[in-house]
Amino acid sequence: MLLLKNILQLTKFSPTILIKNYSQYAPHYIDPIFKKQEQDNLIQSGEVSKIAFLPIKAARNNDTSSVFHDHRVSRMVNYIMKGGRKDLARKLMSETFERIKRIQIERYHKSKTDEERSKLILNPVQILHMAIENCRPVLMVTPIRRGGVKYQVPVPISEKSSYYRACKWLVEASREHDRKTHLPEKMAFELLDASNNTGRVVKRKQDLHRLCEANRAYAHYRWN
Amino acid sequence: MFAKLKQSSQLFKLTYRTCQPIQISSKNYGVVTSEKDDLFLRRDKTSKAMKAYIDRAQQHDEFMQKQREEFEIGKRHLANMMGEDAILYEDQEKIDEAIQYLMPSALYDKRARPMMKPPEKVFPGRKAAEFDETGRPYSFLFYTGKPNFFQLLYDAVEHLNALNKFEDEMIRQQKTVDLAFKLELTGSEWISQNQLELKLVESIQPVEHRYFINTMNRLAEHPYSYRVKEFIEQYRKPLMNQQIIFDIPKPQLDQDGRFFITVYECLRKRARGDVTVRSPGTGKISINGQPITYFENDQSREQISPQKKYNSHCSIKRYE
Repeated sequence: MLLLKNILQLTKFSPTILIKNYSQYAPHYIDPIFKKQEQDNLIQSGEVSKIAFLPIKAARNNDTSSVFHDHRVSRMVNYIMKGGRKDLARKLMSETFERIKRIQIERYHKSKTDEERSKLILNPVQILHMAIENCRPVLMVTPIRRGGVKYQVPVPISEKSSYYRACKWLVEASREHDRKTHLPEKMAFELLDASNNTGRVVKRKQDLHRLCEANRAYAHYRWN
Repeated sequence: MFAKLKQSSQLFKLTYRTCQPIQISSKNYGVVTSEKDDLFLRRDKTSKAMKAYIDRAQQHDEFMQKQREEFEIGKRHLANMMGEDAILYEDQEKIDEAIQYLMPSALYDKRARPMMKPPEKVFPGRKAAEFDETGRPYSFLFYTGKPNFFQLLYDAVEHLNALNKFEDEMIRQQKTVDLAFKLELTGSEWISQNQLELKLVESIQPVEHRYFINTMNRLAEHPYSYRVKEFIEQYRKPLMNQQIIFDIPKPQLDQDGRFFITVYECLRKRARGDVTVRSPGTGKISINGQPITYFENDQSREQISPQKKYNSHCSIKRYE
């Protein structure tokens, strides 16, 4: 029994068998690589040999090898989607982009100096990327209970989680307040503000950072 | 008194001289021996556990022997039934085919179907004698309860230490590793828990199996691990190359002289479609005779349209 105990302690740090997220697939299945560029990169670097023997999951419907496909955009569409209405979500996203484009073109034509014009970004997808990057938090707080009191303890945030939070906050901010104004209009303004590092969503991120800074003293609660 | 003394001394001399050592005939004061009792004595020395062990081992050996004989005779009977030469039925595949023919089964689990295999494969293996007559174990790891498993780990670590020593030597001689010799581990994976159990003839817990994998990974990742290739290969199971499994259909020639491939029964939920791709193509897409506007959904269109650039004419027949 003693021997087994030691084994247990050692294997805590390197689990080789894990079933994640109730997936229908076995853990060794890999995600499909659908972009031609990524496939070429893998072949060139020689990493294809590592995945040549692994079974691949089925491709998702919204992952295409099209030139117009963008990972962040498809993620954003999913966050907007409600009740499985993907077509509506896509429509709203494209309307948002149209609005952003119109606003930016208006500004472009109204601007007087070349400097101003060069600074303006007309590509709505690029603005989305910038907005998400500016809204990403670096830390987050988790409630940890010590001595009957729940403290908000600052902890680091994973990359995936930070992207999720940024997108979620943008969508939430777009849905708030004026119920008569439709989502694309509000969203367009939110995205433009966030890409300029201003606006409500960026403020929310900064508030979170301030909270983390204020609760610095409780950081050690993370490890007891 | 003198006379008495004299008498006594004479008597003493008499007794002394004439007193020879008493010739006692050697008598065996031990137990009365006979063959039957001898065995009884000897058996009494061995414990009940030992007795049970010996009995079990004998029974198993007899049983396996009998099964082996039956299998050998059975092969000949099978050949006779199939009307073929007995030599052919030395091959296990031939036997499997014949059994499938004679006793077809639609049972889901293949292990439940009728089979005829050598007794070693059917009946679980048994360890050879782990201790001698006196009860002294042969292996120094016997009292761990799983001597084979821990022996394996011990061997792995021994190999690792040897490799480390070798590496130190190489560094001392200022030689670098030849990357051409490095072990290829991409096409295989470590044997599963069940397979390890069969190999070692011991029960293995998931924890132990994980520990085994971690140890072997440590060994395999060593730059000079090719030196213990045989040891590592014993515990590797080859993975299947996906390319070999996936049958790529060959292009056929059209009446017009164009190559085409048709894939039937492409499915998604309840939809079924046949997709035809033609080689010197125009980039046109037709779905049930209609252009891409058959799909009202943008996303569905996006899934098909990138295929246009592969210089093909795509036609999809779709039916629910």
